[in-house]
Amino acid sequence: MLAKEIERVGIPTVYVTSLPTVATMIGANRIVRGPAITHPFGLDTEERRRIVERALDLLETEVEPNTVWEIAP
Amino acid sequence: MAWELASFSADLPEEIEVEGAEVEIVRPGEPVRVTHVLDAVEPRIRPDGRPAFPTGGKAGEGRTNRLDGVIVLSCLDFPGEERPLHEQESIVDLGGPGAEYAPFSQETCIVVSFHAPEGARNEELEAKARKETLSLAEQLAAVTLEGEPVTVETFELGDVDGDLPRVAALIQLSDLGPLYYQYVYGQPAGQAGLPRPIDPAELLDGAVTCGEYHWAAMRNPTLFFQRNELVRALHREHGTRLDFRGVVLMRGYEQSADDKQRAAEGAAARAEELGAGGVIITTDAGGNSHTDVMLTCRACERAGIRTTVILAEETDPESTRPILTDWVPEADAIVSTGNVEELLEAWAPGRVLGGDTLLDGTSAAAAGAIPVRNYLGAANQMGQLALGARSG
Amino acid sequence: MRAVHYVNQFFAGLGGEDKAETPPTRLEGPVGPGRGLTAELGDVEIVATLACGDDYFAEHEEDALAALLGYLDDDHPDVLVAGPAFGSGRYGYACGTLAAAAAERGIPAVAAMHPENPGVDAAGKAYVVPTAVNVAGMRDALPRLGRLASALAAGRELGGPDEEGYLPRGLRRNYFAEQTGAERAIELLLGKLAGETRTEVGGGLDRVEPPAPVPDLSETLVALVTEAGCVPQGNPDRLPSVRAQGWFRYDLNGEETLAAARYESVHGGFDVTLANEDPNRLVPLDTARELEREGRIGRLHDAFYTTTGNGTPVVTATRFGREIAGELREAGVGAVLLSGT
Repeated sequence: MLAKEIERVGIPTVYVTSLPTVATMIGANRIVRGPAITHPFGLDTEERRRIVERALDLLETEVEPNTVWEIAP
Repeated sequence: MAWELASFSADLPEEIEVEGAEVEIVRPGEPVRVTHVLDAVEPRIRPDGRPAFPTGGKAGEGRTNRLDGVIVLSCLDFPGEERPLHEQESIVDLGGPGAEYAPFSQETCIVVSFHAPEGARNEELEAKARKETLSLAEQLAAVTLEGEPVTVETFELGDVDGDLPRVAALIQLSDLGPLYYQYVYGQPAGQAGLPRPIDPAELLDGAVTCGEYHWAAMRNPTLFFQRNELVRALHREHGTRLDFRGVVLMRGYEQSADDKQRAAEGAAARAEELGAGGVIITTDAGGNSHTDVMLTCRACERAGIRTTVILAEETDPESTRPILTDWVPEADAIVSTGNVEELLEAWAPGRVLGGDTLLDGTSAAAAGAIPVRNYLGAANQMGQLALGARSG
Repeated sequence: MRAVHYVNQFFAGLGGEDKAETPPTRLEGPVGPGRGLTAELGDVEIVATLACGDDYFAEHEEDALAALLGYLDDDHPDVLVAGPAFGSGRYGYACGTLAAAAAERGIPAVAAMHPENPGVDAAGKAYVVPTAVNVAGMRDALPRLGRLASALAAGRELGGPDEEGYLPRGLRRNYFAEQTGAERAIELLLGKLAGETRTEVGGGLDRVEPPAPVPDLSETLVALVTEAGCVPQGNPDRLPSVRAQGWFRYDLNGEETLAAARYESVHGGFDVTLANEDPNRLVPLDTARELEREGRIGRLHDAFYTTTGNGTPVVTATRFGREIAGELREAGVGAVLLSGT
């Protein structure tokens, strides 16, 4: 819900979660699928960097509603 | 190519016999509850001798006769140990609060209750029941071959003004396996080469029949194709408010995600080939057929074809949000044909036909409040009836 | 007939923001706007006014409700009237929540607030009369509120929202329309083709259009927000691990990383072992700082926001979201990285 409310005031928001279907259902628009519930940004700093960069790329991308990106393009 | 539907008024025979079944003639106004209803069919016959419910050739040409004011209701309490998947009760009330929810109560109903001997197989019984029912419908209409029609309607789509909005109907038929088939010229929907276009008159003239027995309120009996309100309304408006481009039949319950997507895009492509700029998408039954509808809606919108969807809701009456089975943001123009979870007041019928005990074990004569869900065709998703839901 | 009127600390005349922590209290008869409301209630008398501080209600919802419902039980009114709260989010939420709870217990209840107030969703099946966004709308609101409250007190069966002047609650009721569904579908389609899109039923929760993409992150203030319950070690503000009633903002003070010694996760919905070993796994501060240094991100907001997205009711989560969104916008944040689970 947070994603939608923040987007409602016009701030682009990217939601990193391992549950993209739930994110879609509740209306988030920029979603990156993280690897696991316990560590959506991965385990090590390298993986984390890849995921954050992907998320940042998505912030700079025009999207359709409920767009889900995997970590690897 | 024009098709004529000639309506006749005629008396029914005193006695009607159907092999392997009890037959009762119920006049309008009699407080009867009919249970385990399979299908509703209007008596039809073709003066040229071709079958009223053809399995080959092309319907929707020449002339067909209909017997006005009579509906055949077939009933069967499936005996097989393995009951059909998702079998749900299917009731027609010809009196009481339920009578308003279907057209059956206004007409004379020929209720045919098929016997279900122990040990008989569900599919065999169903096939026989369906065959006998369609056959009876044709026999009853034979009386129209003598005499003059009361009215003759002509269905023909002539050329119209190029400025009118171009509209097609995408009509969903189910195929979820045996006992959940709708048939196109006798072929289960999944084997009928869908999605494909047909002439609207074919739909009205017996090309589509029903053999599915789940989701009573949300399914479409044969009658609703014969009397299809959507096709009739589009015909009425053709040339004045719109250009009716035709009908595409599509299948509900495509089985894999890929098949669903492919079928959805196929339906959109067929609509495009018909020249449609806007489509009305109808739904059959419940569950993942709604996903097929939503994917088709999305595929059409992405192809630049605007959409309207017709479907029923399954909202908890105490919930403050409507509940749809599936939804995509492109589905922004939806007709709701009612909330199937709403309960109708209890009614004690004067007589029960079809079977005395409902599937859940309660007595049909004293069943308490029944949800809309269990009334045959009450919330059908082709827009046949006037039922809707609104927020309060 | 008897009514009880609920107001916040301000409208009860107890004080302003400084009295927002006032616990529930009962005052005799009508108070503040209740006096104006009395004139609009006809035969219905306001026998008591219940007041509660907006912050108290927000932070101690269970206790507040228990106390308020206790007063209601004692006064056994024919109707509960709450507000008007206008655009005030915390007040509206309290009004809506109390009205919903009263309605559940069989006390007809009506609140009044602006249609966008998050309290509208909280009201559930209780009625909400729409008002202007601020107190300038009081004179307009009171007669409409009074009329609906009287009808409820009298037990009159109400018509639809448009007829009676309340916001649609979303409860769906079947009816027989003038036209068949088929005819209505043709109307909707022709309307849509002519540029007017209408629907008889909405799907999903309300949707928000994706905002336009960030033009250039290297010029943007980016904030970190998490639903994963990441908090300073020891959870000093006691963020609950489930059914969170609050959210918190924690200053980063230029920190480069979320060190395990300093932060932990209190999310009750997953095993937090890995997250506690390295809280950056939930809120990627170390990576974000690196990217800030490299210029990929213009600047990182010096605070992060946290709540636990576990079992939080939709209406509460919506309220949190709106409050956090408001702060982010005030701070000039141009993009948000939100971590779920």
